[in-house]
Amino acid sequence: MARVIVMGAGISGHTAALYLKRALGRDHEVIVVSPAANYNWIPSNIWVGVGRMDEKQVRFPLRPVYERLGIEFHQALGVAIRPFGDKLDPTGAIDITYTDPARTREAARLRYDYLINATGPKLNFAATPGLGPDANSLSVCTVDHAQATAKAFAEVIKEMKSGAHKRLVVGVGHGGCTCEGAAFEYTFNVEHELRQAGVRDMAELTYLTNEYELGDFGVGGLAFDQQGFVSNSKLWTESLFRERGVAAIVGAHVRAVDPGIIHYELLDGTTGELPFDFAMLLPPFRGVEMKAYDAEGNDISEQVFAPSGFMNVDADYAPKPYEEWSPEDWPKTYQSVMAKNVFAIGIAFAPPHPISRPRTSSTGTVISPAPPRTGMPSGVMGRTVAESIARRIKEGTGAALGTASMGAACIASAGAGMRNGSAASMTMYPIEPASPNQGGISRQYRERSASPATGRS
Amino acid sequence: MPTDPNGPSPIDSTAEAIANAPLPTPRTLRLRKSIPRQIVRFFSFNARMLRMVAKGHS
Repeated sequence: MARVIVMGAGISGHTAALYLKRALGRDHEVIVVSPAANYNWIPSNIWVGVGRMDEKQVRFPLRPVYERLGIEFHQALGVAIRPFGDKLDPTGAIDITYTDPARTREAARLRYDYLINATGPKLNFAATPGLGPDANSLSVCTVDHAQATAKAFAEVIKEMKSGAHKRLVVGVGHGGCTCEGAAFEYTFNVEHELRQAGVRDMAELTYLTNEYELGDFGVGGLAFDQQGFVSNSKLWTESLFRERGVAAIVGAHVRAVDPGIIHYELLDGTTGELPFDFAMLLPPFRGVEMKAYDAEGNDISEQVFAPSGFMNVDADYAPKPYEEWSPEDWPKTYQSVMAKNVFAIGIAFAPPHPISRPRTSSTGTVISPAPPRTGMPSGVMGRTVAESIARRIKEGTGAALGTASMGAACIASAGAGMRNGSAASMTMYPIEPASPNQGGISRQYRERSASPATGRS
Repeated sequence: MPTDPNGPSPIDSTAEAIANAPLPTPRTLRLRKSIPRQIVRFFSFNARMLRMVAKGHS
């Protein structure tokens, strides 16, 4: 009987666990380790953040689901990986600390035959002084954050209804952030709710981003066929900003957030201050805090993980200039470089490099989006790796590994409502450009399309 | 990249680009609210996503 451990129960990990159990049945063990008791459909946190959904609608307890399926669930935080076991046993193992209220702070070492690291991001608010809900800005990254943000949003609307003018800022809180699409989505949901509340004219709304230009979305922009002409996401996005009266500051690195003031630097080295009454700024991502040790107990974290904390897999990590970036640099099987029975999927794997052109300011500050980490490829990775592992368990360690390529379909709500809401949909396949050096828009447009805002809920 | 003292600031450049961006036509605005049209687009987009998901595995 083989044992597979999945660390993390987000889009990637939960998908992997379900496909593993389906493929392996009762003959083998599938174990999920996650510090959270609940599954959270993170994309809907945007709507929690404007008060349109409540927490019950976006999360559900994991344990009952896993019990029904025969998946063993440990509510615990992973603290270390031992790919080569320890002095007692060469079988790979993970060290965990329980967050389960019945076993809080209890430690354990779980052995595995195969391990999937699907631990997702650490929300690195600490990268920018003053950033985050424990400091001076808001977030929608978790349900709890989004609920607090919804409360603050309701309060600012109330004040506008009393006649006060307010300045709202939505964006990313560091020059190296990703998830610009989520910030874009929250911006237009905020704008929509302001109109619904009848206070749009009392609000000044600004989108603050590290993207070089609007429509970059961390992928260098998209090109698409619009009525026989090649149009681009820059024009499409600027059109939406004009239509909805939203201002934008691009190419920005947030240096610090003080109460009511964002301090930023632009690509040309100039600095500025943006006063606000309401600010939702996404944090940059790192890998979760986890160490790796060899069988003797020596720290091998630097070999297993990139400096960002994400796990190195079958990607080409050799430093190279932007002009030499290639889709071939990206992983195919998501297998760890250190151990053939360890995989990293979703946000947990280390990308070889960004996708947008890297830029630094004239003072040397990196202001350029990290590669986007979106749901569709995360789910595809989860399934692909689960099926790879199941095949190896059933057919032997020589069985072929499946490969997953990164396509993305992003559906951005721009305001809820069946008749008066709107949304934008974008598909890109593959995400990585065939050739990076094709000017501002680096995509063959056939498989990459953005649909302008449409009226749908 | 040094700022051209005679050129617009990056913030002004973005504001100008937004101010000059095309706006949707009245027909486009009507089509956004057309339920039959949006139903067709909804199914078309979902079909495209399913094709992408299938292509993503091998």
